[in-house]
Amino acid sequence: MTTLTQHTSAAPGKSIIEKLNVFTALALGVISAIVVWRLSLALLPQDSEEVRLFSREDKITLLSMCAWFIGFMTGIGALVGPMRWVMGKDLSHDENMFLAGENMGPKRYLRYTTDHKVVGIQYLFITILIFFLGGGLAMLIRTNLGTPEGGWLHAQAYNSIVGTHGILMIVGTIIMVTGPFGNFIMPIMIGARDMAFPRLNALSFWLIVAAAVPLIWGQFIGGITTGWSAYNPLAGQAPLGMDGYIMYICIFAISTMVAGANITTTVVKMRAKGMTWNRTPIFIYGVVASVALALPAFPVFFLSQILSAFDRALDTSFYNTAGGGSGWLYENLFWIMGHPEVYVILIPAVAALMEMAPVFTRRPLFSFNIAVLGIAGISGLSVLVWAHHMYISGWAPLLNAPFMLTTELISIPTGMLFLVLIGTLWRGRIWMTMPLMSIFALLWNFMIGGVTGIYLSDVPADAFLHGSMYVTAHFHYTLMGAGLTGALAALVYWFPKMTGRMFDKTLSWIAFWMVQIGFNVAFVGMFMVGLAGQPRRVESYAPTFSTANLVTTIGAYTIMIGMLVLLHGVITSARNGVKAPKNPWQAKTLEWTVDYPIPLENFDVLPVVTTDPYGYGKAKS
Amino acid sequence: MTDLMPPKNPQWWKRSDVKKTFILWIICTAVIGYVGVEFHVRNLVDPASETMSSIISLMRMFTWAAAPVAGLVTAMSLTVLTSKRHYGDNPPAEADHEIRNSPKAAAVWIVISGLLCLFALIGGLVVLEQENEGVLNTQAIQVDVTGQQWLWNFDYANGARSEDLYLPVNKPVVFHITSVDVKHSFWVVQMGIKMDANPGYTTETAVTPNKIGVFDVRCAELCGLLHAYMQTKVHIVSQADYDAWLSAHAAMEAGA
Repeated sequence: MTTLTQHTSAAPGKSIIEKLNVFTALALGVISAIVVWRLSLALLPQDSEEVRLFSREDKITLLSMCAWFIGFMTGIGALVGPMRWVMGKDLSHDENMFLAGENMGPKRYLRYTTDHKVVGIQYLFITILIFFLGGGLAMLIRTNLGTPEGGWLHAQAYNSIVGTHGILMIVGTIIMVTGPFGNFIMPIMIGARDMAFPRLNALSFWLIVAAAVPLIWGQFIGGITTGWSAYNPLAGQAPLGMDGYIMYICIFAISTMVAGANITTTVVKMRAKGMTWNRTPIFIYGVVASVALALPAFPVFFLSQILSAFDRALDTSFYNTAGGGSGWLYENLFWIMGHPEVYVILIPAVAALMEMAPVFTRRPLFSFNIAVLGIAGISGLSVLVWAHHMYISGWAPLLNAPFMLTTELISIPTGMLFLVLIGTLWRGRIWMTMPLMSIFALLWNFMIGGVTGIYLSDVPADAFLHGSMYVTAHFHYTLMGAGLTGALAALVYWFPKMTGRMFDKTLSWIAFWMVQIGFNVAFVGMFMVGLAGQPRRVESYAPTFSTANLVTTIGAYTIMIGMLVLLHGVITSARNGVKAPKNPWQAKTLEWTVDYPIPLENFDVLPVVTTDPYGYGKAKS
Repeated sequence: MTDLMPPKNPQWWKRSDVKKTFILWIICTAVIGYVGVEFHVRNLVDPASETMSSIISLMRMFTWAAAPVAGLVTAMSLTVLTSKRHYGDNPPAEADHEIRNSPKAAAVWIVISGLLCLFALIGGLVVLEQENEGVLNTQAIQVDVTGQQWLWNFDYANGARSEDLYLPVNKPVVFHITSVDVKHSFWVVQMGIKMDANPGYTTETAVTPNKIGVFDVRCAELCGLLHAYMQTKVHIVSQADYDAWLSAHAAMEAGA
């Protein structure tokens, strides 16, 4: 990153907007946190005897984190617009153009910029950062599990690394497609000049930055020792780092809700003239289904953590049986969010590959209607399956059978997505590129993830498999083997439109094969130890599991090297890759009709759509 | 290629790529089914109860049911990958004619996945029903299981208490499970049963051990610092040994 030079085009009466950027935000956030920390330290009364341990410390930590959040968001300029509106004078045209980042150069990436293309690149940057951190933690976990006795990590540090890896990757995978590509590509793809609510778009990005700090902060005050699911009452007795998790989730949930409302509105209201629902690209359906699912799911997540914070800091008993609450309440709230959430991750990644399949086979998408039906079916069913995470919790054994039914029904719409992909590939002239091979990789990985999901959906089999490494391997097959594969293909596919340069072909192939082979080695090993009876989230294990664990560790290192090659490819290709033509893949969607660099409002004249985007080949005579 | 084909297309099942896919489908189904079943059965623990045996046969059954579908996807992928590959920086020529839809294929696909789904559901429900009945068995040995950070306690009807579980072979047993602090999960690995231990509630699960030996009890829910070490053994012994152990242990508790 270049060093900051304050914006110095000292025009008289410079707007407050021009003075704010990420550095003022950081400064204001830190100062507010310190002030509130000192104040609460001085003013909050000591805990009485009967109150649980650390209640006062929890209050201080949560208040300081809230202060950081409000300070940071004020410092970045999120409140300027609303405040002006309250005062009755909205932003001037010049100020709006400044916010859009017109003629500003790289500095716009460090500001509250409203241009959807800037937000897309910002999202790409933070997604890469999250994967870098989360992947690094995964390497620590695998290194510790390389030998049965583990040992070189302290048990508390290990638990905290497992939890932080989990929640980082969940957030990373939620934003990996809808963040970079949903923001940068989607509006151009539907022929819009920007998102429906550009300032909300900037807000959703900067909220994620604001959320990251409490999570990192939490690492230094005890860590997140509960796993990513943070079950109560364990979370109630966890160290202060738990407050970092709570703040992180709450802020991220707001970001997701804001982004969801924005993207849904944009797609419903701003598609180009003539782009009927039948002519809307399937990727758009995937993005909308994803964010629309997040809309009901994330408020529940938010609520579950607010109640958790109450239990910790104010000694309420929402999740405490002794006080009249129940840990099962937490589990229900968590999984009512948690199961739709895995489809929030998966659907846009699969939809991105469905978008690429016609391009690289030069055939129309097979059964567009079935694809839409599949996406809709998964979305609809996914809100009815949450209790399959609680088969063996003892909460409601009578509900196991109906939840087994809804869970297994999901395999029908999921099968439809397979049909669409394999039907599009069938008899196509396949253009051997990394995105095309990613479709095959997805079919393979998702098939394994899907079939193992059927074993897990079965109540008796789940009584053995639940809480074992088998589950861990299963959801990595779906979220990483299918989800991440789609996201990496999307990166290579849309790279030319986002950077003006082609992604280095050789590097994309090396990364692809290393990640895919490493992945299958790592997680097949993990299936093995799961079947042999190794529980999840353990820092040491019986010596009988050692060979398969070592295999997993070796696979994990292969993935790491592959991902580093990919990162190298992103950096070198963005800097000095081959200049990309306007439409390098000869695709027929609208984003390929604009030149690089893409003008501020994308289109001089808004396009009119007269055909669907998959008109490859001659019509059958 | 299609250009050279006679104006009247041959029946679809006579086309070379369909034949190739069909042969590959048979091979892939057999390989995936066999490897899938062997992978699971070989890696799974040796069963020490009827429950675990039925879990293993369920997984065997599901794997064979899934194999034709997985085999078809693999076979079609292999056919595509081995036929018309195109390399280079420019796209290949477009397909000669478009197939946009095939309501028949979609209908067949959906009906088959629906039937497989039904099959999986029924298979699961049958086993589930047998297990639910086990919990209601009043003739069974009743053991109270209490999880705490980070060990298990077992209380028997006659007052005996231990940290290792002792049970007679071929006698049904019902576990009443609870926790004194956070959530744990009581997993008797080789017997294929698992049930969460929730503070403030008692949950039940049942099993009939059918093999003499020493098996593993592990905690399957992250429960804090030493979760990985929260494990113990279950000793399945003959009825006579069990009776002797039980009375000795009860006497010990009474003495203490």
